[in-house]
Parts: sequence; C-alpha cells; structure tokens
Amino acid sequence: MKKTIQIPLGSQHISLLEPIRFKFECENEKIIGVDADVGFVHRGVELACTRSFEFKQVGYVVARVCGLCAITHSLSYTLAVEKLLGYEANDRIKYLRMLMVELDRIHSHMLCLAHTAENAGFEALFMQIMGDRELVMDVQEAISGNRVQFDYISIGGVNRDLTPELSALIHKNLNTLSEKIDALLGLFDNNWSLSLKYKGLGVLSLEDAYTYNALGPLARAAGLATDVRAETSDFPYEALGYTMILESTGDIHARNFVRLREIQNSIAMCRNIVDNLPLGEIQEKAKGKPNGEAVVRVEAPRGELFYLVRGNGQNMLERVRIKTPTFSAIPAMMEVFKGAEYADAPAILASFDPCMSCTAK
Amino acid sequence: MLRSMLEAFKNLFKPVRTIQYPAEDIVLPNGYRGLIEYGIDECIFCDKCEKVCPPGAILFYQHEGGEKEYRYNPWLCIYCGECVRACPKPEEALWQSETKQRSAVKEDGANEGWFVYEDACKKSRQRYVEAKKADKIQNKSEE
Repeated sequence: MKKTIQIPLGSQHISLLEPIRFKFECENEKIIGVDADVGFVHRGVELACTRSFEFKQVGYVVARVCGLCAITHSLSYTLAVEKLLGYEANDRIKYLRMLMVELDRIHSHMLCLAHTAENAGFEALFMQIMGDRELVMDVQEAISGNRVQFDYISIGGVNRDLTPELSALIHKNLNTLSEKIDALLGLFDNNWSLSLKYKGLGVLSLEDAYTYNALGPLARAAGLATDVRAETSDFPYEALGYTMILESTGDIHARNFVRLREIQNSIAMCRNIVDNLPLGEIQEKAKGKPNGEAVVRVEAPRGELFYLVRGNGQNMLERVRIKTPTFSAIPAMMEVFKGAEYADAPAILASFDPCMSCTAK
Repeated sequence: MLRSMLEAFKNLFKPVRTIQYPAEDIVLPNGYRGLIEYGIDECIFCDKCEKVCPPGAILFYQHEGGEKEYRYNPWLCIYCGECVRACPKPEEALWQSETKQRSAVKEDGANEGWFVYEDACKKSRQRYVEAKKADKIQNKSEE
C-alpha cells in the first residue's frame, strides 16, 4: 500500500495571491516531495513584443508584465535597447531611474512582509504594513503621475523631472517610513507569536542556495552574496551608499530581516539620490534602430531580472526574452519545502515573495 | 493582557487610515497623468501621435475631401503621454490634462464601438489612396 499522500496547494487557494500550483507528496504531516506548476496566467507578452508593437512602444508593454516591479521591467528593456543604439544616459537620468527602482523595491518588500505577517496569522500587522506602504506609493504617484503603472522610463531618458516640492515630499515620507521600519524590525525580531511561525522554518542552507541557484533575498538570507547591483556597473550604486545585506540562518525570519534591512538601505540611497541629484537634461535623443543582440541584468526586488533583446535594424524586434526572478528561483523554492510541515507551506511560500504574473507573462 | 486590551480600546477611537471613497474624494497629486486633450485649431495633422501611441488609442479618420478627423478612445489610452512628447506643437495641439476619465458604460462602446471605428479608419485611408491614384491616372490621360 502507498504510504504517502498527495496534497495540492493551489492553483486557487485562500493563502495564495496569484495562481501557482504545488503538488506536495506528504508522509503524515511532512512534505517529502514537491512538484510545481506555474503558467496559469500566460498572456503571450514576449510574442506581442515582436509582432504587434514597435521597439519604441515595447517599453510600455513590458511594464505591464508585472504590477509590482513595473519600473524594473521597463528599465531593463530600455537599457537593452539603449545598448543596441549605442546611447549612454547622463548622470541625472541614471539617478532618477535609480530613485524609482529603489522606491519600487521598498514598496515591493513591504508587500511581501505584509503577506508573511498575514500568513503567520497576524492580520493587524498586515493592515499596518499595507497602510505604511502608502507612503511610498504616494511618492511614486507624485513623481510619475500614476499609482501603479508609472510609465516613467522611456528610451533616451525619463519622462518627468524632480521638482523641489517633490524632493521635500520624498524626504518627509521617507523620514516617517524610516521610523516605522525601525519599529517593525523590533517587532519581527521580538514578537513571540511571529517567531513561532518564522524562526527555524523553511530553511535554505548555503550549499543548497549554491546548488539550486537561489537569488535575491532568498539567497542573501542564506548567506550567499549575490546581488546584481554589486555585480554590474550600469548604475553608480557603490557611490550612493549601497551595502549588501546578508543573513546566515536562511529561514523565514532571516528573509524578513534581509527585506527589512534592504528597505532601510534603499531609504538611505533614495535620500542620497535626492540630495545629490546632478544637473542635466532628462530627455535626450537616442537615434537609430536596434541592430544586434543585447543582454541586461537588473536587480528586481525579488532577484535578478534578465532581458535579452535582439533586433535586425528594423522597427520590429526579432526576439525579446524575459527571465524573471521567480522563475529562476523555483528549484530553490522546491528544495525549501522538502522536510517542512504541510501546515507551514503557505507561510513559507509567502516568504519567497513569488510573482506568478511575472513568471508566466 | 491588560496592555493589549487597553491598546485595543484605544484603537476604537483612532481615525481610520483608508479614504472613505464614495463619500470622500480621492485627492490626486499635482501632475496626475489624466486625459489627453486636443486642440483642433493648432493641429497640423502630421499623424505622429497616432504612430507612437502604444495601444493605438488615437486614430485619424480620412474624409474624402482630404481633411482628417481626430478620434480618441480614453478607455484604451494608457496615459503614458508619448503622443504629447511626439507632438510638434505640444500644449497647443495636444496636451495631457489632470482630469480623470469616468468609467465606461455600455453605451460608450469602449470596445466594440472602437473596433468598428478602427476598421472604418483603415478603410477610409485605403479609399482615399485609391481615389488619389485614380485621379492621377485620369489627369495623365487628359494630358
């Protein structure tokens, strides 16, 4: 007789935000085997980029791949096309782009923290973090003119400039947020009921992180020093006070802490950017048509985002390939589930911060 | 236990953090990206806005006399402002306002009506080009 039992999680489940299906092979309460299925929200974005839209419009199409890291997607695509056009942005454009990406990281991490809190049964904390998240969303709305779909980056620059009033608003909101994050750090560390659901659960060891190619906060929580911001030189991150945040235990608690401290780091960087914004044009002419192949890596909130763009000197591109961080992290995710209790699965899954619409695109 | 009860009691009298939407208006920030507005007097009909628009929310209908008619679908528009940046006469012929578009109702024909119009625009252009060609041939034969 078969000793194991199969329990599915998803594709529709109350603890899930987005459709993903896991098939857990369970022995009593323990998970011993995992099978994952993504791709319930496939929209054919890659094909649309090469068939229906010209290369100047594709930036606005790929921004709609993901609602949370819209700016990272359009930035990666724009960088790839700018490489093909042989154009390099001036410092002001780079700084403004960085500012938006870091703000994006802050609010995305806060969303993830809110959901891990919710999955630990702490609804009030979920509400509190989501309420604080509005501070960042307001800043982004004021800068770009829209709350979710920013459409801020275009080929050859950015669409809007930073006014002194906006700088004041950014400082004001980030100061408020900074205090709240400090309070959250204490709460996530010391709250007894939260630590029951976080500490020692969903552990990814350093060797496993290497073997299964973990990335983003998932890898950094296990102590694997990988961050595209430190590895590439597209943006002057080092000069603006970037530090890599590493933890060693690799459990949910460590992941939350990596996120919280990354938010602090991003807040510091945003302040530096606003204070030291260089002078220059915000929109320059990038002439020509993309010819050749370019590869771009950008650190999205969840890890490395990879773009490949191939053009043949015409308005329509030949190929656009998007590899999202969640897709790359699936092997590591499956490894984490093995050995965990079935009841902890939703909490562990939330701590990965999976973005299925990105992955299925 | 006592502390948490006190905390819970205090929370009853705290103001809510959400906006009570239908009763209370949502405050839009300065520079909110709203509707694209059009000034027919200044437009030179270069069609640049139509070409750059990512979703194809701006179309020009070609009349037989040669004049063009601007048509804009606010429910298809993504409000990126690319058309305004492409316009040779921004702020005069085409500009982005801060007004928010109301939601579409069935009578607006936001989808089906627009598909019909897209088709009509395409056909109007073909007709126009063909008529011009025919004119040219006629002129040549008259010479």
